[in-house]
Amino acid sequence: MSAGKVWGLLVLGRKSELALILPSLCVIVIVLAVPLAYLLSYGVYATGSGFQPRYGFTFANFDKLLRDPFYLSIFGKTFLLSVVATILAGVLGYGFAHFMWRADRRWRGVLTILVLSPLLVSIVVTSFGWIVILGRNGLINQALQGLGLIDEPLRLVFNDVGILIGLVHVVLPFMVLSVLAALERIEPVLTEAAATLGASPARVFRHVILPLSMPGIGAGTTIVFSLCISAYVTPAVLGGNGPNFVTTLIYNQFVALHNWPFGAAVATVLLAVALLTVLLYLRWIGRVSQAGVPAAEARRA
Amino acid sequence: MIGLRIAAALIATFLLAPTIVVVGSSFSGGTLPHFPPSDLSLRWYAHALAQPIFTEAAFNSLWLALAATAIATPLALAAAIAIVRGDFAGKSAVQAVLLAPLFVPAIVVSLSILLVSARLGIRDIGLRLVAAHVLITMPYLVRTLIASLTRFDVMLEEAARTLGASPFTTFRIITLPLIWPGLLAGALFALVVSFDNVSVSLFLTSARTNTLPLSILNYVEYNYDPSIAALSTMLVCLSLLAAVVLERLVGLRRVVGS
Repeated sequence: MSAGKVWGLLVLGRKSELALILPSLCVIVIVLAVPLAYLLSYGVYATGSGFQPRYGFTFANFDKLLRDPFYLSIFGKTFLLSVVATILAGVLGYGFAHFMWRADRRWRGVLTILVLSPLLVSIVVTSFGWIVILGRNGLINQALQGLGLIDEPLRLVFNDVGILIGLVHVVLPFMVLSVLAALERIEPVLTEAAATLGASPARVFRHVILPLSMPGIGAGTTIVFSLCISAYVTPAVLGGNGPNFVTTLIYNQFVALHNWPFGAAVATVLLAVALLTVLLYLRWIGRVSQAGVPAAEARRA
Repeated sequence: MIGLRIAAALIATFLLAPTIVVVGSSFSGGTLPHFPPSDLSLRWYAHALAQPIFTEAAFNSLWLALAATAIATPLALAAAIAIVRGDFAGKSAVQAVLLAPLFVPAIVVSLSILLVSARLGIRDIGLRLVAAHVLITMPYLVRTLIASLTRFDVMLEEAARTLGASPFTTFRIITLPLIWPGLLAGALFALVVSFDNVSVSLFLTSARTNTLPLSILNYVEYNYDPSIAALSTMLVCLSLLAAVVLERLVGLRRVVGS
């Protein structure tokens, strides 16, 4: 094939879409699909720690995971902390998105960079910042002690409180963006009409803005929950000693105990929960686009 | 209204607080990171830059980010062109598959690559890191490139072809300039994603070959001094620069995806 022909296909993309897509699909298959399949099989095909695991089909890893209260408690704690972080991020994120939506357009650029700053600054950096703020001699404890409000420093970090604060901080941008996208789809005419007809700002919010921004809340909370349960750096840096989260449990099994088969089993469960959440997320999006069509038509009529 | 403004200001403070504190405490003169810094000094910058574990790791991260972006960008461009211009069965499925790496927990991606490379006897740390980073940067590139390709008129290309331009000339003179901001923004964001990544690199590095975020993470586990703050401040400056350029190019929100 001549060079001109290749470029022709590249430009018009008529016939050899396959040739264009194949390289990237190969990356997905080789670096994602095959390793994931191997991981899934590893959890049910190997047991024992060390570098020489025993092979043979077994449910021993999953059995151990589901029977031991210690591992179950880590799963429970991860789930609970993720739910609480999602609720907090939902409330704060909605408030800030609403503020951005109403703010002067001039401020959009600055506000966007501000809201996305937790994503743009490395998470290792922000986690370290939280230690400086929340630590025993940190900013908050010194301020509270200086004001004479507390005698003993509060324990705000290297425990679940630290994990929670760190999680909310890092997932907040996703929540804000989801809600903001939904708010921006609301036609200004609707809120104006409600106000003209005599509704107070509070009533306009409750009966017009809130219901119409529900899809943003749904999409935001599902994606945020999925990010929370698979977070690693936050629990590793801001959490207490030992495995305190599903991800740090996996790390612990792989790196400290060399129990790869059991680590693979834990990872399989995490993967299943995360993917289930994503499916839920996609259903939300789907329902939104279906519900959006008649609503838009009604608006035009 | 005043109440809402105060709430928004508090949330903004919450979002920025750790970054501001890190930057502020990097100028501490004492042995502990302190905010506000008590006596100003740049000694921890000198200390951080004098440590080979950080400088070597910084070079590793830079090479890794550049290599991953250089490989992922053409792959993503080809795929985006096929998805936007092509008309074939299973198009939306292909698109979903290309975005799939975003939905799998990064730590799971990392250890599944570890398991397979251990099984196949692949010990080359560079190779498995580059492969992993190509995988996680590709979805962002595909998304921005699909957005830029969708927004311009195919008629422009067809007009050029009708007027006698070769396909290559058409691509060079019409297509490329039109998608340029999207291409640049996608590549820049890919660099940032790769450079900052922790969870995908987690199981793929070694004590001797490390990335910068992972070496910082290891350091923080056993040390607590302002050199990390100094190092972090330099990273914050780079991130801020990237953020401003991205916002100017195509708008940050489009790149991050919402």
